[in-house]
Amino acid sequence: MTNPKSYIFPQRTIDDIHAKADLGRYRIRGFSTSQNVTHFDDLTFLSTGLTRFPLEGYKERCNTKTIIGSRYASTPLSLDTPIYISGMSYGALSANAKTALGRAAAMTGTASCTGDGGMLQSERDASEKLIYQVLPSRYGLNPKHMVQAQAIEIVVGQGAKPGTGGMLMGVKVLDEIAEMRDLPQGIDQRSPARHPDWLGPDDLAMKIEQLREATDWRIPIHVKLGACRVDDDVKLAAKAGADAVVVDSMVAGTGASAEVLLDHSGIPTVPAIVMAREALRDIGLYGTVSLIASGGIRSGADVAKALALGADAVAIGIASLVALNCNREIEGSDFVNEIGVPAGECSHCHTGKCPVGITTQDPKLTKRLDPKSGAERVANFLNAMTMELSLLTRSLGKGNVHSLEPEDLAALTLEASAMARVPLVGTNKVFGEL
Amino acid sequence: MASIGVMDASEMTTRELNALLKKASKTEDLIEITNPGARHNIVVGILDECHIKINGSVGYYSASLLDGPTVDIDGNAGWALGENLMTGRINVSGDVGASVGASMRGGDLFVGGDAGARAGISMKGGTLLVTGNTGFLTGFMMQKGRIVVCGDVGDAVGDSMYEGIIYVGGEYGSLGSDAEVAEIDEDELLDLWSLLDSNGVKSKPDFKKIISSKRLYHFDSLERLELASV
Repeated sequence: MTNPKSYIFPQRTIDDIHAKADLGRYRIRGFSTSQNVTHFDDLTFLSTGLTRFPLEGYKERCNTKTIIGSRYASTPLSLDTPIYISGMSYGALSANAKTALGRAAAMTGTASCTGDGGMLQSERDASEKLIYQVLPSRYGLNPKHMVQAQAIEIVVGQGAKPGTGGMLMGVKVLDEIAEMRDLPQGIDQRSPARHPDWLGPDDLAMKIEQLREATDWRIPIHVKLGACRVDDDVKLAAKAGADAVVVDSMVAGTGASAEVLLDHSGIPTVPAIVMAREALRDIGLYGTVSLIASGGIRSGADVAKALALGADAVAIGIASLVALNCNREIEGSDFVNEIGVPAGECSHCHTGKCPVGITTQDPKLTKRLDPKSGAERVANFLNAMTMELSLLTRSLGKGNVHSLEPEDLAALTLEASAMARVPLVGTNKVFGEL
Repeated sequence: MASIGVMDASEMTTRELNALLKKASKTEDLIEITNPGARHNIVVGILDECHIKINGSVGYYSASLLDGPTVDIDGNAGWALGENLMTGRINVSGDVGASVGASMRGGDLFVGGDAGARAGISMKGGTLLVTGNTGFLTGFMMQKGRIVVCGDVGDAVGDSMYEGIIYVGGEYGSLGSDAEVAEIDEDELLDLWSLLDSNGVKSKPDFKKIISSKRLYHFDSLERLELASV
């Protein structure tokens, strides 16, 4: 007789307890949360009918131009699409992957971002627009690199692991990467959670002024927040002088995090955007401070919904890696033998054994990723997303993706209605509103 | 020697002052700033070798994000003096606030008075010399370089440091997590006294040496796939 299936102790939980009993510590992995939370699939667009007419879906012009950070920067970030590549470090990713992402961004008129650990010269060379991150760790921070950037992103928190710093296992902290970060070879790097030189929002205002002075008030300063106490955090970041606020949600990806943080901290992307929008509106800065959303953006539909909810742009991480062949069996790879799971089930970025050469520093594996063809794949994906976004926008009768608005959406579930603050399908009611 | 003469900070905005400094740093050897008024973000992002003298106290983030210049400050400084210094030298005659030399990667930073908490936090290279005392968490998460404090140091010195050395001339409140006291040899002591002498400090403290115990370098256990080879 077999035991009845338990919802409290499914096999995954049993395996997890066994692993922790062996290890004596929290578990670590990459990729994204395993929680099933409200997401963009719980929203649908109300395309045109008799009350408004569509634009020709495949032909008429649809503007995707996106300007970020015109509040104070004399040269705002000007992108051909509202989608850019999120910060992922050289260290978490291979040099080939970073170079491919930078090249793909340049091919599609958008930006990529350094991530932690400093600027990789080959990404800088490949990129036309590079966002330079200033993180609590300050690994590799070089003012001579900073002044070459097209924007700066101060990282306060990361959606996959808000309230803590980055993590890079010793297998990846070798040679050039250890040297760039000024770390001993092979240590399990657990980065600082707090910035070394400022603590609260009043200090942040001075930090932002410092970075502006260092870059002659030329480029935008973004502040990236792990989406938790969104209302207060967005207001404080805006008040401190940010040109753009990035809300990175609990479904956002990572190369390595304690699993407990991936699954049990932060809020989903949909309510994060809405709360950030309302926070900026409350202080009269919506439309002045750019709003960027990240976390679980997988398609043009997700981008369109994020924009309709109030974002000016989105950043993608995992989706860009999937376009690079993450979780896909390729020539030379053998997922089951190399990583212990079939392609499609891998979340082992932190082990440095990525069978497709993306999240590894092993020369045998990095060879499997050709930066040129990888860049073409990511550029194709970015173009496909932008086409999907435009198609949906035109179907709503609009010629500019930034004209999308909450009124274009309806919710498929009660929860999505409450979180997105749009009516539930089949009703005119926004649930959860007083 | 070329000189741009004197810049009166009270007659210009911080932005105008830094812009003028950046321009002058490319052509002038000596630049003097008067009436700094303890303003924040003075002398930021100068990436050329030159000599800047500030007559008076400065606020937060003064002489930060520098690569090349020598900066003399005749007064006190606020938080994060010398943050992310790459190369060059900063001398401040008085006291400084918290996080002096935060994340500095090279160069020399000399403090004539006391420093606040978190002196040399996340330091990645260079030398931070404080002739007075420093506060709690001195050398917190330090990665490389050398912190020399002639006076006393607060609690949790060297907490979570990776590498680098902290020398304490007086007493320390407590050792931070994963920090330990190491033996100091005579040559090291003579070298430190020589450093003090070259900075005009005549005392010869009997320094204690604090380093990382390196017990936090690695997780104690790894899953099978996390091992270097499986």
